[in-house]
Amino acid sequence: MAELVIEGLTKRFGGVTAVDDVSLHVADGEFVTLLGPSGCGKSTTLAAVAGLDRADGGRITVGDRVYFDAARGIYLPPEARSCGLVFQSYALWPHMTVFDNVVFPLTLRKVSAADRRRRVMEVLELVEMAPYAARYPHELSGGQQQRVALARTLVYHPAILLLDEPLSNLDAKLRDRARAWLAELRTRLHLTTIYVTHDQIEALSLSDRIVVMNGGRIAQIGTPQDIYERPADPFVADFIGTTNFLPARVAGASAGRAQLELDDGQRLEVVAARPAEVGSRVTIAFRPEQMHVAPPGPADAAGSVLNTRVTSRSYVGGNWQVGLDLAGAVLRLETRQPPPEDVLRLWLPHAGGILFRGVADAAA
Amino acid sequence: MRTSVAEAPPTPSAFPREIPIQYGTAILVLVLVVAPLLPVLLQSLLDGALYEDSYTFTLGNFAKLARTDGFGQVLINSVVLAGLTTLVAQGIGTLAAILFGRTDLPLARLMGELFLWPLYLSALVLSFGWYAVYGPAGYFTQIWDSLLGEAPWTLYSLGGMAVIAGVSQAPLAYIYCLSSATITDPSLEEAARVSGSGTFRTLWRITLPLMKPAIAYSAVLNFTVGLELLSIPLIFGDPAGITVLTTFLFNNGISSPRPDHGLVATAAALMLVVVCFLVWLQGRMLGNTRRFITLGGKASRPRPFRLGVLRWPLFILAALYILAAVIAPLAVLVLRAFTSFLSPMIPLGEVLTLANFVTIFDYPVYARSVWNSLIVSIVGGALATALVGLIAVIVHRSEFRFRGALSYLALFPRAVPGVVAGIGFFYAFALVPGLGSLRNSIWILVIAFTMRFIPAGIGAVAPMLLQVSHDLDRAARVQGADWWTTSRSIMLPLMRPALVGCFTILFISFFKEYATAIFLFAPGSEVIGTTLLQLWVQGEVGLVAALATIQVAVIALCIAAVRGIFGVKLHG
Repeated sequence: MAELVIEGLTKRFGGVTAVDDVSLHVADGEFVTLLGPSGCGKSTTLAAVAGLDRADGGRITVGDRVYFDAARGIYLPPEARSCGLVFQSYALWPHMTVFDNVVFPLTLRKVSAADRRRRVMEVLELVEMAPYAARYPHELSGGQQQRVALARTLVYHPAILLLDEPLSNLDAKLRDRARAWLAELRTRLHLTTIYVTHDQIEALSLSDRIVVMNGGRIAQIGTPQDIYERPADPFVADFIGTTNFLPARVAGASAGRAQLELDDGQRLEVVAARPAEVGSRVTIAFRPEQMHVAPPGPADAAGSVLNTRVTSRSYVGGNWQVGLDLAGAVLRLETRQPPPEDVLRLWLPHAGGILFRGVADAAA
Repeated sequence: MRTSVAEAPPTPSAFPREIPIQYGTAILVLVLVVAPLLPVLLQSLLDGALYEDSYTFTLGNFAKLARTDGFGQVLINSVVLAGLTTLVAQGIGTLAAILFGRTDLPLARLMGELFLWPLYLSALVLSFGWYAVYGPAGYFTQIWDSLLGEAPWTLYSLGGMAVIAGVSQAPLAYIYCLSSATITDPSLEEAARVSGSGTFRTLWRITLPLMKPAIAYSAVLNFTVGLELLSIPLIFGDPAGITVLTTFLFNNGISSPRPDHGLVATAAALMLVVVCFLVWLQGRMLGNTRRFITLGGKASRPRPFRLGVLRWPLFILAALYILAAVIAPLAVLVLRAFTSFLSPMIPLGEVLTLANFVTIFDYPVYARSVWNSLIVSIVGGALATALVGLIAVIVHRSEFRFRGALSYLALFPRAVPGVVAGIGFFYAFALVPGLGSLRNSIWILVIAFTMRFIPAGIGAVAPMLLQVSHDLDRAARVQGADWWTTSRSIMLPLMRPALVGCFTILFISFFKEYATAIFLFAPGSEVIGTTLLQLWVQGEVGLVAALATIQVAVIALCIAAVRGIFGVKLHG
């Protein structure tokens, strides 16, 4: 019923195209995250769905209602859309108690007084804030304010739920708790949800699907596993936490495997889904947990061993973080044993690395 | 709680309510602002009176004005008076800002407060105060005369008037310089001191130059106020034959039995153009000022300078100034109100009386002016506050298509001198048929005062509104509240402190306003300001003092109440 369809959405601010021809289909009850760095257009997309900004082009529909259609000149004001939006700042009204904040949308909808009270207490119960109904927002902690903000949007059963970086104002410990709580709530509510964040852990742990955005465009749409294991380009790989990029040249290719030569002449072998052209420049990317310090002796059958230069080492409690230089590329590695001070023999797996054509500049 | 069925948004009203409200407000402001200006500009281009049946367009009025005997002298007097006033106000104000705001002068806070008093009083009352102390038969003048021979000063000169006006306007310079000083990065001064620069060297080389934008801006502001000044030239200039633009307009437009409307309107138009230019200049400079002083941006109060051996001499000097320029005129005025005759030669006990106040309340004309002033200020102030709140919400919190134009329009009255607004509304009400009943009531004053002080009200409300996060009203909109519901239940309650401040400022402004009123009042609609001037002309000094005392007392009460109850700051 409440599926969200965005087609060709475009929004310009002056000469800058903040959202550039974005199309997205969110199924009923699906939880989709817009992920990207600041300025990638994710918040602008959300504002366009909520009706806070009028987009310049494209079409937005929720269920059978057209929210916005540039071609037909349709633009519903935010109050006519029935979206639920939780702001990054929570936007609780400071002059009203928790109860008054939450009851406001019901009063607007002319719900009877008895129903209003019941529904407000029900939703406050749901977010575990019922004992605080008479408090004012400034008397609550950040996490509590966030729950009230969520209650205020859930109370009127919005057609879709929009969450704009709701966890970013919480401190690290609270954020973990709130994330777990949100994940649990999400399965109970089964609401069509758009979640905007720049935190890949939130995106990976909460979403049915993730939309990675970059420069106003969609870089990749996929499940968390897709995005994490098969990033479409170096930008996505980098953003999702794969931080090690090696530029190389294809030295040889055979039966789903490729031999790569680094700039300093060292070689490694990788599994390549698509055959790479011999002689072409490529970039191979590894996540930190895929690499480890090679045991003494020759390489095993599952990986290659390369000599790297240690550029930095720091003890971060339990683990060492090591900065490595491999043929001019900067790698970061986590290891339990104290690393050597000069040369480190690095083991890289044949399978699991991601091969991109060309030299990855997004990784910089 | 499974919520797979979405609830419909609240049914929108058939007709978007914001349209009549926003357009209605914009049209109201347009009428308010244009109503007094159009007749003045039109009349300046006509050969006959505006209300006559036939007239032709002409530029003759300008030529006639240029040929008018002594008009050149009037212009020179105006510029000299405004210039001298600015000089006095800036000198005193800047010095006070440094002394009271940036040094370890004893009792600096208290003196800073007292220094601001003239800001809350009308220049009219202040003039009477100065007259009572330093006038030819003034209290202090008599003491001086008896001890040292004839007093060497006279208030009936351009210099004398400039001193009174300068003292009354010094608080403006003080406020701007002070706020500039407190938001300047203190590390700039610290750096100078650390590098071995002494107190006065640092003040002169670092602090003062940093205040330059504030000094320049308030100087233009003070020059503008100096040009618009009516009371001081009326009381001290006219008897000495010194005419400035405002008194020229007053004498030819009001006092004259057969006013030459073309001439008056042309002079008013001329003044309007000059003040418009000055206000435009202020706007430009304010832009520059902001750019200049927000660099440091930290609100930490810098460490005060040590004055060393000069601490107590400077304190005595400052205290003497406060005593002579602020306390003495007020105290003597109040004392005069409670006496039948005031002179240092006569013991106070013999002359103490309440007769002045009894007379004020016995004569319906005088008593009525007090009540009229109260009604105009309370009811008018409340109406104007409502209008200002509405304008502010539309300008800053709506998608109204003409909100930029509305903002400009609402601030435009800054450029309309009170005298010009008075003449303009006078014409407007004379021209439009059917307004006769309004014309002789206090509501014409409410309308004119509202127009005059919309910018002051907006100045009190807008900064607060800008601090309220846009998310707060967006949240309401997303939840289904239309613009008007959002404004009413979210924005206006959040603006409550600002609206209280706005009402207070409008109340005080309405209560002490006279320049616009003297062109508009009729028998029955007198206010304190107009009655004060009439009593002054009749030479009823005791009654003038009593009425002025009432005005001062009401304003003081109002400020104390607002500060005490709401903790609202009225300046800064």
